[in-house]
Amino acid sequence: MSAGLVTLTIDEREVSVPKGTGLVEAALAAGIEIPVFCYEPRLGPPVGACRMCLCEVQPGPPKPQAACTLQAADGMVVRTARTSAMAAEAQNGTLEFLLVNHPLDCPVCDKGGECPLQDLTFRYGPGNTRMTFPKRTFEKPIPISPLIALDRERCILCYRCTRFSEDVAEDGQLVAVNRGAQSVIATFEDEPYVGHFSGNVTEICPVGALTSTQYRFEARPWEIQSVPTVCGLCPVGCNTSATTREGKVKRIQSRNHPEIDEGWLCDKGRFAYDHLTARDRITAPLGGNRLAPIGWDEAIDRAEELLRRGGASTVTALSGGESVEEAYGLARLMRDGVGANTAVLPEQVPDGLDAYRAPLSALRDCKTIAVLCDEPVVERAPVVELWLKAARRNGATITYGAPEGPVDALVTDLPNLQLGARTVYYLPRTPNGRGVTDAWSAAGEGEPVDEEPRVLVISGDEAAQDPSVRVLAERADAVIGIGMFRDSFHGLAHLVLPGTSYLERDGTTINLEGRLQRQRRAVLAPVPDVLAWLSKLAARFDVELSPHASVVFEEVSAKCFGGVTFAEVGERADLPPRAARSETQEPGSQREPGSRDSGLRLVAYRPLFSGAAVERTPELHFQRPGDEIQIAPADAQARGVVNGATVTVSSNGTSLELRARITRELAPGIVRIARDHAGDLHATVQVTP
Amino acid sequence: MAELQVLLAGTDDHDLTKLDEYLAVGGYAGVGKARAMTPEELIDELQRATLRGRGGAGFPMGRKASLIDRSSPKPKYLVVNADESEPGAFKDREVMARVPHRLIEGCLISAHAIEAHEVFIFIRGEYLSEYEILQAAVDEARAAGLFGDVDILVHRGAGAYICGEETALLDALEGRRGQPRPRPPFPPVQGLYDAPTQINNVSTIATVPAIMEMGAEAFAKTGTESSPGSAIFSISGNIARPGNYELELGTPMRELIYDLAGGVPDGRELKAVIPGGSSVPALAPDEIDVPLDYDSLQKIGTFFGAASLIVVDDRCCIVQLALRSAKFYQHESCGKCTPCREGTRWMVQILERIEAGDAELSHIELLESIGSRILGRSLCALGDFAVYPTHSYITKWRNEFVAHIEQGGCPYGGASSLEGIVAPLDQHTHSPMAEVPA
Repeated sequence: MSAGLVTLTIDEREVSVPKGTGLVEAALAAGIEIPVFCYEPRLGPPVGACRMCLCEVQPGPPKPQAACTLQAADGMVVRTARTSAMAAEAQNGTLEFLLVNHPLDCPVCDKGGECPLQDLTFRYGPGNTRMTFPKRTFEKPIPISPLIALDRERCILCYRCTRFSEDVAEDGQLVAVNRGAQSVIATFEDEPYVGHFSGNVTEICPVGALTSTQYRFEARPWEIQSVPTVCGLCPVGCNTSATTREGKVKRIQSRNHPEIDEGWLCDKGRFAYDHLTARDRITAPLGGNRLAPIGWDEAIDRAEELLRRGGASTVTALSGGESVEEAYGLARLMRDGVGANTAVLPEQVPDGLDAYRAPLSALRDCKTIAVLCDEPVVERAPVVELWLKAARRNGATITYGAPEGPVDALVTDLPNLQLGARTVYYLPRTPNGRGVTDAWSAAGEGEPVDEEPRVLVISGDEAAQDPSVRVLAERADAVIGIGMFRDSFHGLAHLVLPGTSYLERDGTTINLEGRLQRQRRAVLAPVPDVLAWLSKLAARFDVELSPHASVVFEEVSAKCFGGVTFAEVGERADLPPRAARSETQEPGSQREPGSRDSGLRLVAYRPLFSGAAVERTPELHFQRPGDEIQIAPADAQARGVVNGATVTVSSNGTSLELRARITRELAPGIVRIARDHAGDLHATVQVTP
Repeated sequence: MAELQVLLAGTDDHDLTKLDEYLAVGGYAGVGKARAMTPEELIDELQRATLRGRGGAGFPMGRKASLIDRSSPKPKYLVVNADESEPGAFKDREVMARVPHRLIEGCLISAHAIEAHEVFIFIRGEYLSEYEILQAAVDEARAAGLFGDVDILVHRGAGAYICGEETALLDALEGRRGQPRPRPPFPPVQGLYDAPTQINNVSTIATVPAIMEMGAEAFAKTGTESSPGSAIFSISGNIARPGNYELELGTPMRELIYDLAGGVPDGRELKAVIPGGSSVPALAPDEIDVPLDYDSLQKIGTFFGAASLIVVDDRCCIVQLALRSAKFYQHESCGKCTPCREGTRWMVQILERIEAGDAELSHIELLESIGSRILGRSLCALGDFAVYPTHSYITKWRNEFVAHIEQGGCPYGGASSLEGIVAPLDQHTHSPMAEVPA
């Protein structure tokens, strides 16, 4: 026996596992199931509540033991229901108790067919009922938010949801109230469950008690397909599974990547798929003054004509939401075909950080974490916030605030900063900003020109809404848009070519760790692939571009990703190894010292619950931030501002009334307001009670 | 054997709620003695006294102290369980109301043994006057400089029986919903705020000064060999002189019921005795010739429990008694684990049917079967507490259950009485928070 291992016997099978392994995992290692409901290691220490895992364990008292709360030990003898009559009787008893008040409405329950309670009853439960009395009833369903319905009769009180709320998301909004058989899950005072991660409770619920209002009564598990893909709404790149039925996305679930998301999704990634069927979805090319639908031949002709007119002084504005292949295809067309090398890239990602690369899960074990980002982490890269919380629970010290000056100036300097950090993560603003930037660079050599744009190509709805892009559009003679929604381009573009969603395309993206991941087409778009018409348009300029993402990828891969093939970017992508640190460290550029007057620097952040997809998902609107200003404790105290009070925020003659929220997750000297609530405030503001 | 005054010693002639009177009877001398010892010596002394926990489980107090991981870098805590909620039990309230300084002295001695600097006394919310007396005594002793580097915080519970369960008590003390924790880890390793924690009942801790005064050997000689010392026995129900009696352990139960408490009044017959609070198996009249100590009671299939005897006379319908008790445990089940949460409700449903005469004979077996599926399977002992008495009623008075079913109703025909035997649920309406002192 090697050091650190313990050997025990489970159902007469001997198994050696690392010291500290729980009995449920030890049994799994021996190929044996110990059934559980409440046990979920991602939610913290075991609670031993449901009693489904009762086993006979020696040494120990002569009664069934909750295996989930025990750790494997040398010489331990465990008997599960397979070999122990005591354990089998105990587990059968637990299921009988769980079912006496369960409504057994499986035929109309969304969970039916993929329900742990059904499955374990089938394997371990009683075949009939001895319950001949009235079952406990509750009012149902209770909407605990516009996104989630609660059926208290189906609830088996495993406390997974409340533990998620309290110990993972740390929002403390979901609680158990009352006692004994009258215990129910509830929110405080029946207020809606507002939180960036609330939807996860629908997925960890082992019965049909917490269901998604969007998915409710939409499908049966045996008539759906699941497509493994990657979320395209933020730079984390959570691994997801898209449930589809009859060609429609019906729900998004997590596909646990332990290094990236640990099986948690934010509510935007989970619920915002309704944008696929938005009222203003563009289903055909649009042209003319009134942006009316036009035929594809005409659209390609007009695009060619405009691009030839623009020539080298055509500017391409990318959104960062494109796949690597779409961005590369567009870049080949523009750079090789049109000869237009000028682009507005979504963001600048410092390459030097690859030497500090680590999986996001490494955050959990960090002892000291410095958050330099002035925007709330949760709004920019939501699941990263969960890793920060996990680190804090692990005893990490987390500080907030950049050393000096605005963070934007800092980004390019990050590799050169003497932070002493072993690991550095950059939180991009866009889902695939890095992939798009790499693809643009890989597609051509030509230098950008410094001229007024004659033609502007805007790729993506997010780019079309970007104020700086809109300024550029006003100066251009003509604007070609590529996007999904008519409202994004109304009054802006002269020609719009239809775009697709990340759920409708094959392709790759690079997340904030620098991990190349594969997105798969979950449903067919109502329009052709972007690559399909790009390849036709490119042909007009004698550029050979494949309409297939796999072929385009291999071209990019040869230049950027060491020749890895499309198929090799698997369902669960690995993180590339760290790059070597560059020997020659150039001195960082001069940053302006932060202002030191009495004013506070305003960060008007873009909330997670904003953007084209969220705007088109009405159920998510309640999650948009309120009219509040976030302020650090020291700044609040200095100004006599108390949490929750209304304060006046003013700058240069303009002022707003906002509710103050004091947060420790913010450096002194900075205040934050969601972009929509910041009005015309300037960069430096005064806050008065 | 009879009365041995340890806990209540001196109360006949003195108002021991006053510090000066307690000092006058030699109070707080034990603290000095204890602090002259090393923690190792003190724990050794407590172990040799073999004082058993008075909360119900009877675990040796000194051994509990020896299990504390004193090498842990975390603080060590002493927690006193004053959440006396067992129906029929009112012994700890007597201690807090009459000899609060003896409890405080016990805290200071025990804290020294485990090197704790913080002591928490978790007192049942409904015990308002006891809280006021205890808090005043704590303040008085602290002001007198008796605490040294120890402080004592008295925390009021919010009215949940489950918080008398030691790990639920810890959760409640931490500000969480009071629900039991799985064990292991046990509190001496990972208790309050995940730090090593000793938890003892009020009467246990209040007995500790006597050990310091008498010496471990002399203390161990009192009572019986396996159950030394005295206990305050609460006796209630259909008894002529109900109240608290401090007796040497091993005193015959019959002596307490008949000689001291005057027996069943008004010429009625004894029907049952529930010897340790409502959660233990009841005894029939021919089983009461038993010494009142841990081992003797366990030998005849019941428990010492909270040293609280409920005397039941012949007016009582056993099914009604079973129902009243089952309703209490259903009401107090915390809802965390499945067997207790669901099983207690089901038991009440069946008992209601039987009492209403609307049941079948098979329901008796169902009741026993449900009980056996709760027993030993719930997260804490509350599930067991719901089952022990019910099973004993079915076993020993089965004919009454059968009679209800065969006659289609209660054989007492409305003439039965449970007067004074465990207050019914609708009297559990008292809200402790309604009278929180300013």
